[in-house]
Amino acid sequence: MNRFTPFSTAPADLGHYPEIRPKTSYFRKAYIAVMLLVVGRGLEAAARVDPTVRRIFEQMPDGFCLCVGVGPAGPWMMAKKDKKGRLRYLGWHPRAAKAHLRLTIKNLASAMRLFTFQESTAQAFNYDRFMVEGSLPQALAFMRALDRVEVYLLPKIIARRAVKRYPGNSELPGWKKHFNRIRIYLRAFFPDLIRVIYKNI
Amino acid sequence: MILPEFYDFCSRAKIVSGQNALEKIPALLAELDAGRPLIITDPGVENAGLVDVVKQAIARGLESAPVYSDVPVDSDYHVVDKIAGVYRENQCDAIIAVGGGSVIDTAKGVNIVVSLGGKTLLDYQGAGAVRNKLNPLVILPTTAGTGSEMTLVAVIADPERREKMLFVSYFLLPDLAVLDARLTRTLPDFITAATAMDALSHACEAWYCMEKNPLSDTLAFQAIDLISQNLLYVIQNPEDTQARLALANASTLAGAAFSNSMVGMVHNLGHSTGAVCHVPHGNCMAALLPYGLEYNLHRRDEIIGQLLLPLAGPETYAATPRHQRAEKTIALIRQLNQDLHDAIGGRHPRFLSEIRDRDGRRLVEKNMLPKIAEKALSDGARVPNPEELLAEDAQMVLEHAWQGTPLDRTKIKTG
Repeated sequence: MNRFTPFSTAPADLGHYPEIRPKTSYFRKAYIAVMLLVVGRGLEAAARVDPTVRRIFEQMPDGFCLCVGVGPAGPWMMAKKDKKGRLRYLGWHPRAAKAHLRLTIKNLASAMRLFTFQESTAQAFNYDRFMVEGSLPQALAFMRALDRVEVYLLPKIIARRAVKRYPGNSELPGWKKHFNRIRIYLRAFFPDLIRVIYKNI
Repeated sequence: MILPEFYDFCSRAKIVSGQNALEKIPALLAELDAGRPLIITDPGVENAGLVDVVKQAIARGLESAPVYSDVPVDSDYHVVDKIAGVYRENQCDAIIAVGGGSVIDTAKGVNIVVSLGGKTLLDYQGAGAVRNKLNPLVILPTTAGTGSEMTLVAVIADPERREKMLFVSYFLLPDLAVLDARLTRTLPDFITAATAMDALSHACEAWYCMEKNPLSDTLAFQAIDLISQNLLYVIQNPEDTQARLALANASTLAGAAFSNSMVGMVHNLGHSTGAVCHVPHGNCMAALLPYGLEYNLHRRDEIIGQLLLPLAGPETYAATPRHQRAEKTIALIRQLNQDLHDAIGGRHPRFLSEIRDRDGRRLVEKNMLPKIAEKALSDGARVPNPEELLAEDAQMVLEHAWQGTPLDRTKIKTG
């Protein structure tokens, strides 16, 4: 009898074929969650400090709700324009309320490439790493805001990899860049951060 | 050759090209299990006698093919729904689109409604709404430029909301695209020039923008080669069907290239200029192409320099020092615009300020440029452009493109 019997009618021993589940990298998930928190808080602060980011969110409709995250199971970041027209970071729970714009990075590996700045936002978009649900012009406007926030939050050597063009002195004078950077860091991480974390836990 | 870390490429329409390619349609439709197509076209194409050419060519193999010939220039979803009704009344089982971009997009919209069984196109809005194989769609392009026969996109207006709905799905790619010189033979010289420059801009942007890949490069290279060898010749010899067929092939090749590697700032600014000033797309592309190359030169010097080979031929390419090739490429495209302008008696615009309507009125006024620049921020084509293009950059480029002066390189922000 042949050792290999491909057409055997004997029932398969399913105990030898366990379901293979992809491993969840808790470290990578935690890293992305922290980066999304930094981006969310950074956006909220930059929308008050930087005129370009402010103008971008002023042009969004009232009550505009934004959700950015990694598919299929997160982590996520939500932000919303409040009644006074200011952008507010809502936390890391994707709320039931329907987001006007949902940007989903297709998987954790793609998110790591983006948030470790191996790829710029534009390159990630070109490589089809995002799924966009909502208006494309709004997604493009969000990308411009994100680029601006990355310029403020990151050191130049890293930010140059994250954005298509790091603004030179003619676009954003050095003193203004540093001054706004301090203001954004202070606003994003000191007075309000504990309240936001407490609300989300 | 640059091999990107990642790329995707899909181009699965069957292309049939030849002097008597139209006669093959009945047999090719039979392979798709279809035998009663609805011909969709516009009044201009019908008046030019092209529908008769198609009907005569397919008459031997098909009993009858009803014709809908009232597709307007800016088609909307009401037109699509109406044509879907005509399709069902006549119990058709396939669509033959005969025309340019508007007709082709309308036919794609009709195919969504009749294949998926809905009442209106509005039911299928949004990304990923079209997920099933559609009925057989045959496209016969009558201009050699848009490349719509190779794209997976349909843009159809919603007049109530005053916006253009974008439908994107691989199922929108046609089953068959037929290129036959009889369909472009009657095209006036100024439209031949504008549409060919549109195809050239598709190929050039596919070549140098951020999503370039080896497959789209191959198609773009061949498209540029065919256009550079045949465009001026066709303007001077409009009856030469072989050269006409070469331009039609170039358009299709460029369409396949750019639908996979996307386009950049030339289309970004062109779409916005078209939206604000209602300018023919091909004219915008002709005027803006040299500026797109010039603006991205500091990032893509080597890659743009390689375009000299298909544009000017191997002798010129070999005789030009490497560091001068990109500059020479830009100069050649400007020269091509100038030659077309001279050959067509000034009807081919070289700059934005030269684009005029039939009554001779200027379509792009200088005071419209800031609005165009602002609108360009919302167009998806700015993402694959190698250099960042913000509103102030766009306005600087537009001012030069309006006046017809080369870019002031010191004003280009390089970061």
